[in-house]
This record gives sequence, structure tokens and C-alpha cells, in this order.
Amino acid sequence: MEDSVLNSNSNPQSTNRQAVSFNDAKIIIGLEVHVQLDTDSKLFCGCSTRFGEAANSQTCVICTGMPGALPVINRRALELSIRTGLSLNCRIARSTKWDRKNYFYPDLPKGYQISQFDQPICGPGHLDIQTTEASGQSRRIRIERAHLEEDAGKSIHDESSRRQSSKIDLNRTGTPLLEIVTHPDIRTAAEAKAFLSELKLILNYIDVSDCNMQQGNLRCDANVNLHIPLGGEQVATPIVEIKNLNSFRAVERSITFEAQRQFEAWQENGLTIADAPKQTRGWNDQTQTTTLQREKEDSADYRYFPDPDLIAVNIEETQIELIQSQLVQLPSTLRESLVTEYNLKPDDAAVIVSQGRGVVDYFLEVADGCQDSRIANNWIGQEVLRQLNELNQTIRQYPVSPQQFTELLKLVIAGTLDQTRGKEVLNAMVEHSISSEEAIKQLGIKPVDNSELVTLCETLIDENQKVVEQIRSGNEKAIGMLIGKARKINPNANPGLVKAMLSKMITG
Amino acid sequence: MTLSALNADIIVDQLNAGEITATDCVQHFLERIETHNSDLNAFISVSDKALEQAEAIDNRRKAGESLGCLAGLPIAIKDGICVAGQPTTAGSKMLEKFSAPYDATIVERLKSAGAIVIGKTNMDEFAMGSSTENSYFGSTNNPWATDRVPGGSSGGSAACVAGRLAPVAIGSDTGGSIRQPASFCGITGLKPTYGRVSRYGLIAFASSLDQIGPMTRTAKESALLMSVIAGFDPRDSTSSKEQVSDSLASLEIPLKGIRIGVCRDHLNEGLHLEVKTKINDAISVFKQLGANIEEIELPHTKSAVAAYYIIAPCEASSNLARYDGVRYTFRAQANDLEEMYRNTRGQGFGDEVKQRIMLGTYALSSGYYEAYYLKASKVRRMIKQDYDEAFQKVDLILGPTTPTPAFKLGQHTQDPLAMYLADIFTVSANLAGIPAISVPVEPSSTGLPIGLQLQGRAFEENILLRAAHQFQNETPWHTTSPSEPWRTQS
Amino acid sequence: MPDTPEQPIVNQVARLARIHLDEQQLKSSGEKLEQILSFVSQLEQVELPEDVIPFFGAIESVNAIRDDQLQTSVPREKILDNAPESDGEFYLVPPVFKQTDS
Repeated sequence: MEDSVLNSNSNPQSTNRQAVSFNDAKIIIGLEVHVQLDTDSKLFCGCSTRFGEAANSQTCVICTGMPGALPVINRRALELSIRTGLSLNCRIARSTKWDRKNYFYPDLPKGYQISQFDQPICGPGHLDIQTTEASGQSRRIRIERAHLEEDAGKSIHDESSRRQSSKIDLNRTGTPLLEIVTHPDIRTAAEAKAFLSELKLILNYIDVSDCNMQQGNLRCDANVNLHIPLGGEQVATPIVEIKNLNSFRAVERSITFEAQRQFEAWQENGLTIADAPKQTRGWNDQTQTTTLQREKEDSADYRYFPDPDLIAVNIEETQIELIQSQLVQLPSTLRESLVTEYNLKPDDAAVIVSQGRGVVDYFLEVADGCQDSRIANNWIGQEVLRQLNELNQTIRQYPVSPQQFTELLKLVIAGTLDQTRGKEVLNAMVEHSISSEEAIKQLGIKPVDNSELVTLCETLIDENQKVVEQIRSGNEKAIGMLIGKARKINPNANPGLVKAMLSKMITG
Repeated sequence: MTLSALNADIIVDQLNAGEITATDCVQHFLERIETHNSDLNAFISVSDKALEQAEAIDNRRKAGESLGCLAGLPIAIKDGICVAGQPTTAGSKMLEKFSAPYDATIVERLKSAGAIVIGKTNMDEFAMGSSTENSYFGSTNNPWATDRVPGGSSGGSAACVAGRLAPVAIGSDTGGSIRQPASFCGITGLKPTYGRVSRYGLIAFASSLDQIGPMTRTAKESALLMSVIAGFDPRDSTSSKEQVSDSLASLEIPLKGIRIGVCRDHLNEGLHLEVKTKINDAISVFKQLGANIEEIELPHTKSAVAAYYIIAPCEASSNLARYDGVRYTFRAQANDLEEMYRNTRGQGFGDEVKQRIMLGTYALSSGYYEAYYLKASKVRRMIKQDYDEAFQKVDLILGPTTPTPAFKLGQHTQDPLAMYLADIFTVSANLAGIPAISVPVEPSSTGLPIGLQLQGRAFEENILLRAAHQFQNETPWHTTSPSEPWRTQS
Repeated sequence: MPDTPEQPIVNQVARLARIHLDEQQLKSSGEKLEQILSFVSQLEQVELPEDVIPFFGAIESVNAIRDDQLQTSVPREKILDNAPESDGEFYLVPPVFKQTDS
């Protein structure tokens, strides 16, 4: 073609493209997140939604699309959707309806998916996220909508032999999904991850979904393209939808990869959003690349129309108010209150809140009980979380009750136990499921009186004259060695008190 | 009188009085099917459990148990309605081997009232047709003249009641599929208000139009069946919670002062001359019964067939997507998935069904939705509003059920439009969701039945049945049966 | 109303509907489609008030909702009983690989 000569690399446009740096390009990201709602039964029938049961053991005439069977909507799915919408500051529809999205696939029994097209249950909203780059700064990501739909089943393709059949399991068919769609407000891979983390946290807090990504309870597609400054104008690259994102890391890495790939492709061919339709690419975890997914010509023609088997659902103001009034405090509110009312640093508050409502409640009870939120934070944020991690337990399974923990911290705060001994006591409490009192007894910890302390210090000075000389000549750090020895002689000796007394005796 | 000459209410009375047994009754009709079905092809399958069920009813009656209001009554069910453990084909090769794993709600209700399903009746494939010629299992013949169609799509149900192979039957009506064959076969057929009878277990053609209803000799029998099948069903989201009025109790309330609307447009051009005459005669009967006849207008109903032939195929194209060769249908030979889909659906569906799926798929596809489906749905609103306004003035609307008596087999098979126009007077009620009944008036000079249609306000089946019943009190047309052996020509 | 469909569109509709039609059938289907579409084009003439709300379903009530309660599923043997091909656990379908498209 003659045209291609004009468009070859020698043209001025191309030269200009080569001059642009990747860092000048703005990455435009929108997410579509599918959340499996935590209902007992499916969206339109009474079959169980439980994961991992024997194939095709959780189906009925409705979810297998038998002739004549009809769907009836699950109340709890509606409630959980409204709860989610309220938590994402969405406008809740007063009237919502159902539409059919028509396409053929063997794990889609009816040949259409019941979804929502023009009247989603949740309208516009937003979610503020903390960006890692500038701690404390938040970014507002606008939510476009969230709609309810039924999940498809599972196809198992045997790739080893091309002739073999694919297997179809319809257990998952009809499981309720809420698809949350953001505006393309996300600008970096890290922000995408932050959005998902915060969303996941919220969904956990409000008991809408366990968001287990391995089980597919939280699935994410990312729409990505670039805005590139070129000759005083913005050029947009073709939009790519990345599918198969099964972990936060995959989301982050695929976006990073895709942005770079699009930039290079644009430098190469100069194609813009006007030149190419939206493309679907799959993320390959093995190769850490996105690859073009083959698309059927008609895949986009879903022929949406209102589902005549279902009628509209009207949502009363009072129902929304009721759900609103029952809404638990959201992570952002809790972080804020940990900072303002409990004096935690924002990062520390974030760590506590990120552990879920159970840890927050634990913290609040201990902080209130011991009246020292910093100490409570230090101990819970470090010791408790480490132990939970090691024991692979949730806070509800943790053997030390908040009351017992408070008692322990009170002893630490009073100086009765030093940090080190305190941790020994905590370990014993966890290991044997006993109270701090019992642990102290078991460890043989008892208070050391002043005369014992005087004797101990005198002995140390007598036996360590060289160290004493060092201290006298100004090496104050050398005192640490004496404190160490003191602990060996009497583990119950409080290092702070020992240090004070030694200093007084040595330097006078 | 032989059993087959009796109306269902009489059969039930005799069963209750112990004059006949359910076993005798079922046996009698099974024998009639055995003898006559080869001529009529009204049944696709006959139940092998009917006698057993009849015996069970007889035993329970002997034991003094209280039985339902239809205990021992044989009934035929259109093959587009699921009966557990029975073949349920919808007249299609696609479902030739399908055994329904569950009972439709209405079948459940009929069974618990003691009715005995004796067989599944022939129909146009997936209820798409007006002659029962689109059945994979061959066409059904009209017992009044076996060279004529019984109408459709519930042609098997109409023919079996007219031919007395079953005392009563159940059909379904999407654009006239109960009323038009009732009219062609000289029986009574009621399409209830949309939402009055559960659709759970009815194989969908066009979900927003489909409705199950009784096909019987008399309005009284229809009222009896409605007392069992009508009412809210939590398994059908479109089922209405509106109170069911007791039609049986109100049958004899005089019609004096009732206002009946007649739309002159529907009694003019295009109408078979004899149909026009007989309908006018029927109007006189209603006048004698004390009805006030008033002229009304339904200006948008002239667009009803066009709107219907967009809306119904659109819904059908989606409803029939599930017949894909994966879970319960016929499956064609294929090397890969796409080929499996295309061959299965290419070979499993008949021509008319494929044509309507094509039409619906086209009309819903990107760029055409607004011009077709949306526009048709707006016209549908106008049609509904016409009725709303008319029913401010009148209680019932009267007219012919069909423009002509039964046509000949093969007469319209090459001309879909001519076939579609057989629905010209019936589709509006489906679009508007209102109830309508067809009752026989005086047959044509060649002995072909003619039907009168009454349409009523939503959920006022009781008024329709009352008017139909009192018309039948005054006229003999519903009592006549075709002579046997069947006439082969008209 | 849009123009009546050209043959390539008929092919595409058949593909979209997953219905195999041979050349002859495609042609005749296109003709019938044209016939019906020209018949329904009368809808174009219907004058509608500007604010007319489409009527999609004959019942305009709302809120048919069920509680989130488990119902016993249908036993697998029974569900798979009607399947054209299954291994007793799964439905089996031909492999999804390259279309042997014409």
C-alpha cells in the first residue's frame, strides 16, 4: 500500500514519538471487580453456594436452565449489595431491574446471564484510598456503578489432548456476584492495588464477602491505556482490558507491564484509541506478560434486553435507612479515630485496621483498659500480630483475652515487669493458655526489693572493676554490660532500676 | 351416555357419587386415544402411569379419604408443560428424548386435586405456530374435518377435547395459542390474565406473553379447572398475588346491565362472511341476556400483530438459547464446540423456530434494538392504554376469535404472513396481559366451528366465564361433537 | 426502520444465533426475514406520545423476592440423566478450539 510509505518511520510524527519518554505518559486505569456475595443460597434458586463440593452436586432445574424453570431473586443478595453500595458512598437505586446478557458458552446454562444493564442496584459513589507514595495523602476513586449478576459455571479444558472433551461443572452457576466498576481515575499500578486492598478490607468489615481470591470470590479486570503528550496535545492509546487477575500482585504487575507494552507499541505504530477497538488481553502469571485473547466477531453483541421472567425490585427509603443504620464503622473511620482519639501514628493505625475488625476491637479494649494506647499499639501491632501469624490464628482464636492482655500491660506500664520479662510472660500465657498472674508464678517472677538491688549492684561493682573504670572515664555505654550480668544473676531485677542504681553508685 | 360424551363436572359428580370409577374413566379415554389418535395425532405421548394413578384414587376413595375436587378426572396436558418423569418435548426434535425432572406448578396442583394426566398433546414446536403443522411429531388433524388444521399452537389439546379423547385439556397461549385452536375445534378456551396462572414448568416461548389456561367443552369446566390452577406461585416472579375470584360461584349471576364493547373495525374487512354473520347472531344472544352493546375503539390494535412479531421472537431468541446440546437436548455430531452448537441448533430446531430465532436475534442485535424491540414495546404500551380506556366504558369486549374458520393443512405453510394473520384478533390480549376466552358459536354452512372471543379486564376471568357460561346456557354449539368416523373433507 | 438485511448480515445473525444454515437456507431465511421486516415496518407509522414508557411485561407489580434459604439440590444422577454426554460427574462437551470456520 502506498499509504504505508507515508506512515513509515521516517515521518515527522514517528520522530516525535521517539522523543517522548515513558515517564511523560499518564496511565489511565479503571477496574471492574467481581465480588461473590456471602449468601447461603444462589442468586435465583435455593442451591448452596459452598465452594469445593463434588462437581454438579449443587444444582437444580433452575440453575441448570432446564426448560420451564424460573428464577426468583434472593433477598440477602439485594441487602448485601445495598450494604456494599452504602459503604462505597453509592447512590442506591429506588427501582432496579434485571436484564439478559446473551452469549453462548457451555458453562452458561441458559445461553444468557441475568445481569443488570441500565438500572444497576448501586449508582455513582466513591472510595478514598491512601497512596503509598505520599503517606497520609488520599486519592478519591469514583465508582461508576455496582450491579448484581449471576456467576457462570466452570469449564475444565484438557489442554494436553486437543481431541478430548471439556468438562462442565455447574455448581458455581448462579452464585451472586456484585460487579463494581470504577471510573478510570486510577493512575498507577500501586494505586490499583491500594484500591483493591481497601475494597477488600471494607467488604470484610461489612461481612459481604470473604474475598478469597484463590476461590475466585474476588476477581478483577483492569482497563488500561495511556495518555501521552505529543506536540502540545494528548494522545490516547487503545484501551486494553486485562483479564485473569487472580491476585493483587497480578493486578499490579500486569498494569505495569501493560503500560510499558502500550508505550512501546505506540512508539512503534502510533495507533491511538481512534484506530483500534478495545482489546482483551490475558495476564499470564508464568511469563509475567499480557497476551492477546482471541475474540469472536460477535462477542461484544450481547443483545441486552429486560428479563421478562423477573420483575423490578423497588427499594424503599426506609429499607436503605435501616441498612445504613446497621452499617458497622468502616476502616477509614476507624483509622481516623485511632489517630485522633488514640494518638496512634497513621501508619500504626493502618496496620491495626488492616487486620480486620477483630483486631481493632481487641486493640480498643486493651487500650481503654490499660489507658496507654501507645503501649497497647506497640504490643498488639508487633507481638500479637507476630504470634497470630506464627500460630496461623485469627484474633478470635488467640488464647489471651483482652482482659488478660490488659492486666499484663498494666504490670508493664507500672514497671513491675520490664519489656523483656513482659514478653516472656506473654509467651507463657499464649503457650499454656494461662493468665498473666499464673505465668508470672510459673516463670518464678517476683519483685526485687531495694536492699536486694543494692546488694546486687555492689557485687557487680566489686567483680567488674575494669568495666567500672571504663564507665568512670566516660564510656557510659559500658553500663549495658553490667545490666546484662545483673539479669543473669537475678532475672527479676528491673534493668531500668539496676541502671539507675549503678550509675548513682559509680559516677556518684 | 358414554363417558366420553360427559362434561368434566358431570364426570367428577359421578365419580364422587360412586357411579363410575377413576379406573373405568381413565381406561375409557385411553381406549379412545388408542383408537383415534392415529387419525388425529393429538397426542405425542400417553402416560403409562395413568391407570396406576386412577387405581390409587379409587382406593383412596374406598378408604374414605377426602379427595381433591378433580379426583379421578383424566386430563391432557400440552407437551410444552413439564410433567415429572414424562417425556416433555415441546413438539421439538431438540427435546425428543427429554424426560422432565419436575412437575410444572399447574401439574402439581392438578395432581393434588386428583386429576390424572393421561397424555401430552401435540403442538407447534416451542408453541410457534397457528396450525400445529410445525410439530416435529407431525401435524394434528381437526376432528371436524381431518384435512383441516386444528389451529395452534395448542392444536393437540383442542383436537383431543373436540374429538373426546380427553374430557378436558390444558394449553398455553402466547398470541392466541389456546383461543385460536379452541375456535377452530369448536371448544371453549381461556387465556387467563398474565400472572394469574403460574408459568413455572411451562417451556417458555415468549415469557412476557405466555400464559397457561384451560381448554374444555364448556365455560363451566374451564371455571372448574381455573379454581385449581389459578393463583400465586412463589416460584414464578411474574405470578400475581391478586386474590382469585371464585368463577364457579358467580357463573349464574345474571348478565343484565353488563356492558359489552364491540370494535366495528374488527367486524369489517378481511373477515370471513360467515364469521361476521355468526358473531352478529351471538351479539343478539347477549342482547337478549340483558347486555348493553356499545361501540368502542382500539386504534392501536391494528399494529398488534407487527408488535407481536417483534416482541415474541426477541424473547424467544433468548429463551431458546438454552437448547445448545450441552445438558439435556439432542446433540449433533461435531468436532469442536462451535460446530456442536451450530449443528445441534441447525438440526434440532425446525424451520419456523429457526426463522423466529433469526428474526429475534437480528432485532435485538446491536444497532437495531431501538428500532424494533423498543419501538414495539412502546406500541405495546399504546395497545394496553387502548384497553384501559375501553374498559372504562365497558366490562367486556366482544369479537371474532379468528378471521376465518380452520384452514386446510398446508394452506399457509409457505406463507408465514398469512399464517401470522390468523392471530390478528388474539395477540392484543397477550400484549396487554388481559384475559380472553373463545367460545363456539354456530358453525359455518360447511360444518366448521367458529369462535367468539370475549376479552375482559385484568383478573376478571370470573366475568368472562360468567358471560361465556350464560351464552352457552342459551346456545347448543358447545354441546355438539364431530361425527365419527371423522369427516375427512369439508 | 433500518433497511432490510443484506445477505452478509443474515450470515452474521445465523452465526450469532449459533444456527447452521446451508447456502439455500441462508438465502431463503434472508427472504423471509425481509418479508417479515417489511411487514413490521408499519410500526414506523405508529405515532407515539413523546413520553411513552415502553411496556416490557404484562405485569407491572414489583418485588418478587425469596429469602436466602437453602433448598435441596437435585441429585446429580437425575440432573445428568438427560445429558447427551457425561462421565457421571461432569457434562462433557467437544473441545473449545479453533473454529473450523468457512
